[in-house]
Amino acid sequence: MNKTVFVTGVGIISGLGYGRGATMDALREHRTAIGKIRYLGTSHDLPVSEVPYSNEDMMDMLNIHHDTIMTRTALIGKLALKEAMEDASLNPAEQHTVFISGTTVGGMDKSEQFYLDFLSNDNHKEYIKTHDCGTCSEMIAEQYQGFEMITTLSTACSSAANAIQIGMELIQSGRCDAAVVGGSECITKFHLNGFNTLMILDKEQCRPFDQTRAGINLGEGAGYLVIESEDSVKRRDVKPLCVLSSCANRCDAFHQTASSPNGEGAFLAMTDALREAGLQASDIDYVNAHGTGTQGNDLSEGNALMRVFGDNMPPVASIKSYIGHTTSAAGGVEGVISVLALLENYMPINLNYRNKIEEHSFEPLHQEIIPQKLEHIMSNSFGFGGNDTVCIFSKIKEDKI
Amino acid sequence: MNIYIKSCAQISVQEPLCDKWFTEPIKHEAPYVRALDPDYKPFINPVAARRMGLILKRAMATSITALKEAGIEMPDAIVTATGLGCIENTEKFLKALSEQGENCLQPTFFINSTHNTIGSYIAVQMKCHGYNNTHVHRGISFESALLDAFVKIKLEKLNNALVGAHDEMTPDYFTLLNRVGFWNGGFAGETAVSMVLAKEGDIRIAGVEILYMPEKQKLIDAVNGLCAENNIGVNDIDLLVTGRNNDDDNNKAYNEFEDLFNLRDKSESYKNIFGESFTASAYGIYYAYECLKKGINPKGKNVKNVLIYNHYENKDHSLILLTC
Repeated sequence: MNKTVFVTGVGIISGLGYGRGATMDALREHRTAIGKIRYLGTSHDLPVSEVPYSNEDMMDMLNIHHDTIMTRTALIGKLALKEAMEDASLNPAEQHTVFISGTTVGGMDKSEQFYLDFLSNDNHKEYIKTHDCGTCSEMIAEQYQGFEMITTLSTACSSAANAIQIGMELIQSGRCDAAVVGGSECITKFHLNGFNTLMILDKEQCRPFDQTRAGINLGEGAGYLVIESEDSVKRRDVKPLCVLSSCANRCDAFHQTASSPNGEGAFLAMTDALREAGLQASDIDYVNAHGTGTQGNDLSEGNALMRVFGDNMPPVASIKSYIGHTTSAAGGVEGVISVLALLENYMPINLNYRNKIEEHSFEPLHQEIIPQKLEHIMSNSFGFGGNDTVCIFSKIKEDKI
Repeated sequence: MNIYIKSCAQISVQEPLCDKWFTEPIKHEAPYVRALDPDYKPFINPVAARRMGLILKRAMATSITALKEAGIEMPDAIVTATGLGCIENTEKFLKALSEQGENCLQPTFFINSTHNTIGSYIAVQMKCHGYNNTHVHRGISFESALLDAFVKIKLEKLNNALVGAHDEMTPDYFTLLNRVGFWNGGFAGETAVSMVLAKEGDIRIAGVEILYMPEKQKLIDAVNGLCAENNIGVNDIDLLVTGRNNDDDNNKAYNEFEDLFNLRDKSESYKNIFGESFTASAYGIYYAYECLKKGINPKGKNVKNVLIYNHYENKDHSLILLTC
């Protein structure tokens, strides 16, 4: 039943820019995208990682008229999807293909701009229909014909990882040959202010897994992966990038916004992901941690990592110190980065780290090392409400394809 | 492997947590009707209830009722569908942001505004560490959640799942959606449906299909495929349940479908009973479930194989076959 699922294409956009090259160059140069707010119309002066294009810029890149009804999450998503489709040379109409996307913000960027109009007049009513998450996915996918099914997941910051998980299972169950999976999210005043009221936004650059960490820097971006069955890969005669070995989802069931101190949900998701991939903890060579930089999350995640890996902690790093927390898109954006890390045999390091978290037995990877072996990467995505999802990406074994 | 709907519970514009609508449906004439709430004391501690929005109370009450009926204390998974999530809290935060600016906001509404607030709230209350996901895709959110649980049980990753559809409708959001014709041809309702999927039971889910902008032939193939897999012919379908309302644009697809498969005489609808919402289709499955449980439809005709066909804006289409 557990058929191999291959990754055959990736697309990414974040504060680091558009595309695989821009992303990996910045990671290798230890260059962060976190800085002053340029595009979001907010009165707060908080560091964020914005996609470095205005909506109009992105419309130009996509050959879309400036007066088109379009949200920022959809634009960012369209760019990432375009790169993924081209990377995989995929025409959705040529096999059973589905599109599964994660978002929570949806069309909130326009809703928060026009909400009072929505209530009192018809001036911007076209954006009432772009508010919900599902519409956002259909806008992202509309440039392609032939997706047989489109659906949307929203589990806050693990949304995109859950989209990957759903796509993987639709392939394993034989319901489709290929799935384009991931997520997209722009920064909105709604969630910037939401996180701000919770007092979990750092006024400085975020410091994941550092004793002095003081919160999140929000980011925006999108990441999509084309995943396929072995049959589809062979039939299309494409060269897969890597294997999606497993994707597991468990619930912390502890609190609406806080993580449990022992990281039960994260622990269960990581151990489930290992089991489903048929791997031991010692097989994991690098962990792309959720590592948001809040006191609670990093403590909880680190404790869960210690429970899973014990004394044999693999290199662990959070790339949120480069691209901020891309919230619902994080599982997609960081999933793509995990794939690229495998391909390029490069382990991104955790920026801004100085002091070990007292309760933790390990330090995050903060200085470059050349990996002796980089075969399996674990990527963690944990959301509000304890929706914890873990994906494992693996290099292709010689005897496979 | 066979997968069944073991139990089902609803709160809606009909009498809550019972099937009285089957014989004595309440007729609604107003364009916007709030759900009829039961007494929540048996389900929720009153102290906690004061801080909870209606959408969470309804989700808890229908979940607890469905699990109890199914004889399952702790489900293996909680899979939730919602079109708009906790829209009341979203609106409160949005309104405060729009009217008062960015400097005097409170976190409470934000915390409880996300779509997955519902599924995770149920999990926190039940201490359920199992699979937990939230599907938010327009008018097929519920079918997407159902498919998720269905596939996971098929793949033997789960033995059972609590699958729910939850949407609330506030006066402001009713007005807003009214501006874009969302309620054309029907009345606005609210959704709270929970069901338990398991490997044993009486009412079998014979198939679930979701199709995006299908051409006619794809729809024909999907219906024939569902029937063939279950060794029945289209003629053996004795009840078609559709999302028909009074809007000609919406009904066009249903008319064509009924003609295509010669099912017009066997077609019944549920939106006239339960109203419209992003997750209203869950009432279609619930309607079919109750008919199969009783062996008859509300008009007294015998029922054994039920096809539920739903579409949203003629883009997202779903087919579900239930048999007993």
